[in-house]
Amino acid sequence: MTQAATNASDLMVEMHNVNKWFGDFHVLRDIYLEVKRGERIVVCGPSGSGKSTLIRCINHLEEHQKGDITVGGVALTQDVKRIEQIRRSVGMVFQHFNLFPHLSVLENCCIAPMWVQKKPRKEAEALAMEYLERVRIAEQATKYPGQLSGGQQQRVAIARSLCMHPDVMLFDEPTSALDPEMIKEVLDVMVELIHSLGNKAAVDKFVIMGLA
Amino acid sequence: MIHNKETIPEQPAPKGTIGPIAWLRSNLFNGPINSLFTLLGLYVLYLLVVPTVQWAFIDADWVGSSREDCSRVGACWVFINARFSQFIYGLYPSEEYWRANIVFAMFFTLIAWMAIPRLPFKRWVAIFALIAFPVVAFVLLYGGYFDLPRVSTNRWGGLMLTLLLASVGMIGALPIGIVLALGRRSSMPIVKSFCIIFIEFWRGVPLITILFMASVMLPLFLPSGMGVDRLVRALIGLTLFQSAYMAEVIRGGLQAIPKGQEEAAAALGMTYWKRMGLIIMPQALKMMIPGIVNTFISLFKDTTLVMIIGLFDLLGIVQAALSDSRWLGFSLEGYVFAAFMFWIFCFSMSRYSQYLERKLNTGHKQ
Repeated sequence: MTQAATNASDLMVEMHNVNKWFGDFHVLRDIYLEVKRGERIVVCGPSGSGKSTLIRCINHLEEHQKGDITVGGVALTQDVKRIEQIRRSVGMVFQHFNLFPHLSVLENCCIAPMWVQKKPRKEAEALAMEYLERVRIAEQATKYPGQLSGGQQQRVAIARSLCMHPDVMLFDEPTSALDPEMIKEVLDVMVELIHSLGNKAAVDKFVIMGLA
Repeated sequence: MIHNKETIPEQPAPKGTIGPIAWLRSNLFNGPINSLFTLLGLYVLYLLVVPTVQWAFIDADWVGSSREDCSRVGACWVFINARFSQFIYGLYPSEEYWRANIVFAMFFTLIAWMAIPRLPFKRWVAIFALIAFPVVAFVLLYGGYFDLPRVSTNRWGGLMLTLLLASVGMIGALPIGIVLALGRRSSMPIVKSFCIIFIEFWRGVPLITILFMASVMLPLFLPSGMGVDRLVRALIGLTLFQSAYMAEVIRGGLQAIPKGQEEAAAALGMTYWKRMGLIIMPQALKMMIPGIVNTFISLFKDTTLVMIIGLFDLLGIVQAALSDSRWLGFSLEGYVFAAFMFWIFCFSMSRYSQYLERKLNTGHKQ
């Protein structure tokens, strides 16, 4: 291990002694996890073991009760501003895609860059088309999510997260709601993405966490 | 396996399965019992429609100026004719009708502009309709500026008053309802309990009671000399009452949006208001169009209750005209006219909501 890799500023996600309860049920017990820039991690475990809960704590979709979580050097607290700051730098892909059904594919990808990062529409659309191209679905940009297959929707969801230029990508069971043929197209896109993003100097500070 | 490379040519449908005769057979005369019901239905329709048409059109009297011009065999529309301007403007002074006419013209133009999809500048027209138009309408109707003589609100009435009550009620109830619905789902206990108490109070009290209390009891609590206009009190009561209903309709819509939608919006770093304004509300409102329009329609008809506090809306002014000794005995005509006017507006709202539903349908829910 090089000196740079152990440098504290290279740690993108730090979880120290994280504990979480659902009511009385103790889901996460003293979780200790450090993820460095460029690292790819897969979390495995039987169902109900708290994989999703763990990943959802990182961007505060679930609240942990004890311990410290730091994402990109920002400590996760109750402060709404901080939570939003962390969420802006953490992309997430969900099991059920969660595309916005009232917006077209292009609008799904543009809405956060335009309203959260305040990018002008032109720039946001160009960026969205670039990522839609990368997940190989650019020709469907004007369609609505309901008109796409599950695999296509999940690829749009990946593009939507990437449009925010996140430092960390979280994949919460991205293929478990898909048919076998579609699993392949989504996994292919993910593998390609990891390689293409990894080759670019500007994005080698990229963390990918996923659940199989 | 048999392969056929040629596409099989299109063939006409079998005889007797398409066309009007087939339609009649399958829909109206499908078996002896259904045929019997069809004939029975036609007979009942005949019994109802023929005398109605006879009364309302064929035997009716249309022109004249007094009750002597009516034969009393059919409807006497002379009564409606003679009182028409009162039904529209209430007791508004007739030499000032032009002011109300300008407001009417602007009102219907704005509505048409917003409703017809081809017309441009929708955003600016909407801003004008919500901000400038109320001011212009108030200055024109109430007067007191630019040498316009003042017309106090107790002379406003008829259709003018009905439309005023209904549009202020709708424009007020929708945003208040949205805020109440969001507040009721809030995780902040004070906001949440305030909204619950507000909604349950206004929903639990009849509108008549609210109007009556606003008109009789409110002045007892206010310092003497500080009178709030009766119309304003009615408007506040009506708006708050309907906003409680609106809140529950919208909350139903919010409940139907999957939790993943808000999570996805949150994961993109959106603040609470952006999540609501950009992602959740557009979907919830779209889904709730039938419920919202239903509330609007009931609000429109509820405006007739303001007659309890001495305001003469369309129905109130018709009833007042019925007790005129020169026109005694024409209540049927009066009520038919009032019903027809209300029906026109409610039916238009209903049709527009169906059109909106079709237009906003991006299909395919997740």
